[in-house]
Amino acid sequence: MARTKLYTGIYVALFVIATLQVGVEQIGLLESSYMLALALITVFSFVKAVVVAGYFQHLVWEPRSVTYVLVLGFVGFLALTVAASYSIL
Amino acid sequence: MTDDNQPRTDGGTATALPGDSHDDDHLPPRWSLKRWLVTTNHKDVGLLYLATAMFFLVFGGVLALLIRAQMWSPRAPGTGVLSAMAYNQAVSLHGLIMVFWFISPFATGFANYIVPLQIGAEDLAFPRLNALSYWLYLASGILVFASFFQGASYAGGWTLYAPLNIPAFMPSIGATTTVFGIVVFCASVTVGGVNFITTIHRMRAPGLTMRSLPLFTWSWLLTVWMMLLAFAALLAAVMILLSDRMLGTTYFAATTAGGSVLWTHLFWFFGHPEVYIVFFPALGAMAEIFQTFSGNRIVGRKWFIVSMVLVALQSFIVWMHHMFLTSINLEVKTLFMATTIGISLPFDLMVFALIYTLIKGRIRWDTPMLYAFGALVLFIVGGITGVFLGAVVLDYEFRGTYWVVAHFHYVMVSGVTGLIAGLFYWFPKMTGKTYDEFLGKLSFAVYFTGFNLLYFPLFLAWGTPRRVFAYRPEYVGWHRLASVGAVILGIAFLLIIYNLAKSIVAGDDAAANPWPYSTTAEWAVASPPPIENFPGKPSYASGNLEFLDDGATGAAAADGGTAATDGGHAALESGHGDDHHVDHASLWPAAIGLFTVVTAIGLSGLQVGSYPEGLEGLFYQGTSVLGVLGLLGSITAMGYENFTAHEGGLGEAWPFEGVENTKLGMWVFLASDVVLFGGFIGAAIFLRIAYGWEAWHPIPHNPIPGLVNTYLLLTSSFTVILALVAAQKRSRKGVVASLTLTFLLGLGFLANKAIEWVVLFSEGTGLDASVRASTYYLTTGLHMGHVIAGLLITAYLIWRAWNGAYTDGNDETLEYFGLYWHFVDIVWLFLFPLFYIV
Ligand code: HEM
Ligand SMILES: [Cu+2]
Repeated sequence: MARTKLYTGIYVALFVIATLQVGVEQIGLLESSYMLALALITVFSFVKAVVVAGYFQHLVWEPRSVTYVLVLGFVGFLALTVAASYSIL
Repeated sequence: MTDDNQPRTDGGTATALPGDSHDDDHLPPRWSLKRWLVTTNHKDVGLLYLATAMFFLVFGGVLALLIRAQMWSPRAPGTGVLSAMAYNQAVSLHGLIMVFWFISPFATGFANYIVPLQIGAEDLAFPRLNALSYWLYLASGILVFASFFQGASYAGGWTLYAPLNIPAFMPSIGATTTVFGIVVFCASVTVGGVNFITTIHRMRAPGLTMRSLPLFTWSWLLTVWMMLLAFAALLAAVMILLSDRMLGTTYFAATTAGGSVLWTHLFWFFGHPEVYIVFFPALGAMAEIFQTFSGNRIVGRKWFIVSMVLVALQSFIVWMHHMFLTSINLEVKTLFMATTIGISLPFDLMVFALIYTLIKGRIRWDTPMLYAFGALVLFIVGGITGVFLGAVVLDYEFRGTYWVVAHFHYVMVSGVTGLIAGLFYWFPKMTGKTYDEFLGKLSFAVYFTGFNLLYFPLFLAWGTPRRVFAYRPEYVGWHRLASVGAVILGIAFLLIIYNLAKSIVAGDDAAANPWPYSTTAEWAVASPPPIENFPGKPSYASGNLEFLDDGATGAAAADGGTAATDGGHAALESGHGDDHHVDHASLWPAAIGLFTVVTAIGLSGLQVGSYPEGLEGLFYQGTSVLGVLGLLGSITAMGYENFTAHEGGLGEAWPFEGVENTKLGMWVFLASDVVLFGGFIGAAIFLRIAYGWEAWHPIPHNPIPGLVNTYLLLTSSFTVILALVAAQKRSRKGVVASLTLTFLLGLGFLANKAIEWVVLFSEGTGLDASVRASTYYLTTGLHMGHVIAGLLITAYLIWRAWNGAYTDGNDETLEYFGLYWHFVDIVWLFLFPLFYIV
């Protein structure tokens, strides 16, 4: 399986990103510039999630419709969380 | 069979064929109880759903009559037939039972029976899971029934508003059992949703494209999609509520900012789609009936379908119109007033399409048509009165009054009316008997009179406060009229039940197609249809419905090449040729249902972290243990059992061509799990914003243990991949080793988590220490539950792999488990920063 190499590479990358994510906290960015740190940490999470879904769960090799099913669930979550949060701001 | 020049609407002309005398192979006969315990056939399960739902209709109806008896006069507490608490229980459980345990399952019964016939499938994609949905539904209903005998049932209204729903205000064990019943019901709906979505998308006969899908199947497809997402949100809400009641978290406690508003958001995010979930199947049935009895294809069919799709989507962005009187801001109220107006537009279009269909046709007023037409009239009244409520300013006046009660009964019971139309329409198909037409028409006259006598006066007595039995004396006339109407409506239901029961016993035999101008495929087979449904492989490839010889021709000719993507399976299936050795019996779904009841009853004794004292506590603890063991045993047995389901993707499979059934089912399930976790995470974010985002700090002092857990989970994801790679290389040792590593890594994750929690507990940070602590424990706890479930499955997989499974070319199970496990990993990638870092 040629893909084993790909999977290994991805695994290493995930490991590194997870470490970077905590690094953001360790260098004190949350104290000095909270919003920037929050944004960085969120982006790191999304990158990891997309990579796991895309390759470990093979979504890149499936028909796009399968991805849309998940996006539908995610959009539902976003609608609920964003609108509910906004409603009490 | 009637004339041959029928308009070709849904997929093609239905041509009735004589019944095929396949007997119900592998299944005990219909008169034996065992048959109904082990059956997985969609028609049997449909009948079980219908019968059980009818039982709950009677149950909910008796509660309604008690309510109307109490409302005969304005009462002071302690007077009248019901005590104050009994009245509250009657009102709450009437609502819950009608919405959850009657209407939706009633529709599910028709869907089970009719949808596979309409799409040309021999059964659903996962017959045993279908039986499981039914048994979980029954289990949830038994729990609700039992709740009356555990102190008191739930008494805070069917909307379960916070903070009335927490133990401080609603302490009875029975109330917990009711909530547990809803949790189990959500599970049933999710299993059913996954099954129907897979089935309708992937099991259609060749040539039956989405465009030509019959309208009832269309409406049901959209219903199950809405269910999948909406009920996942409800599941999040009721699981959090259970945790508040059983474990002692404090999400909905009155003292926290936003606790009660949080509940309304979670509940109505489910609740508004729910009104369409309830109404859509009725709408689909009405559309079929209008077409058949007007001899007319529905006007603007394409736009009708487009409107349904729009409404299904829009139903998720109007929920705050139920919250106009909460503390949410005016901007958002205005926004949601606009979206509410927006959703009524496609709905209007559908109503006009139905009306024009009738105007254009020559209508035959048989009983189904009478009920369907009645449903339309009632719906229009309900819809118009709803527009008043959708306007912020008017709702300030109407909220919490009998106007709302009258409005939603017009719309909801209009849905019931539409389904009763369906009951008469499909009765000959399901039973092979003809109902009594005169009694049917009579029942409609009584029904329509009773209905309007019951609900219309409630508009006029609208100043009556909702859910309260005291009201201004000048309304007494209207309320008495309503109570009389309630009795008349009750009589109508008895007439319906009598008519159908009598006809089952002594009715004339029904033809395969008793209705001229019917066009859908269920009318092309005998009444009732044989167990395998069709005399051959159904195909619309030629434009008409035909039954091809079983075997290779069906699969290959049908799909124009797409079957090829399904590779091995298609070949495998057609290889079976004519003799169907498909096993239709399994006892395990029923066993799982039984042990679910036992488990839930046992756990309901857990109140705010502890069981009651003495013997009672012992009973609840013992029952919990027994239930959990039984559940584990029966789930394992079901996994191990040999069961062949029908393969999908042999006909139309848009848009999931090439995604094998089980894989699609797994993905659809995961989408609902996204919403479940979304509800928990959304709740945590919402509470944090209510509290002040930056004033809120992570509960764990140090992110490093969490980072270690991230490493462990990522590595375990990687080892699952290695297991799959090993399986493809046919290396049994590799598979066992990789899976064992996965198991150990998962155990490490749990151990690490346990240490963290023990330390926090010893520092005095319990679940109830603060909302902050509650969200941390519960959200990561839900994730931990997923990890534990994953490890149990891993243990099972290791055992199977050890015995040589998965390395024989059938490694799908490993792949699908991987999808789940990676998903658990992904969730952690978000929980970790949210609860440990930021
Ligand atoms: C034009 C369409 C509709 C509009 C504009 C509308 C509007 C509303 C509004 C604004 C409320 C909240 C009233 C309040 O509590 O103050 C409400 C309540 C309700 N509606 Fe509708 N509605 C519509 C259609 C439907 C349909 C189709 C159904 C069901 C099949 C339905 C079922 C309900 C139920 C059950 C409630 C009461 C919820 C509760 O217990 O508080 N509505 N409607
Ligand atoms: Cu609504």
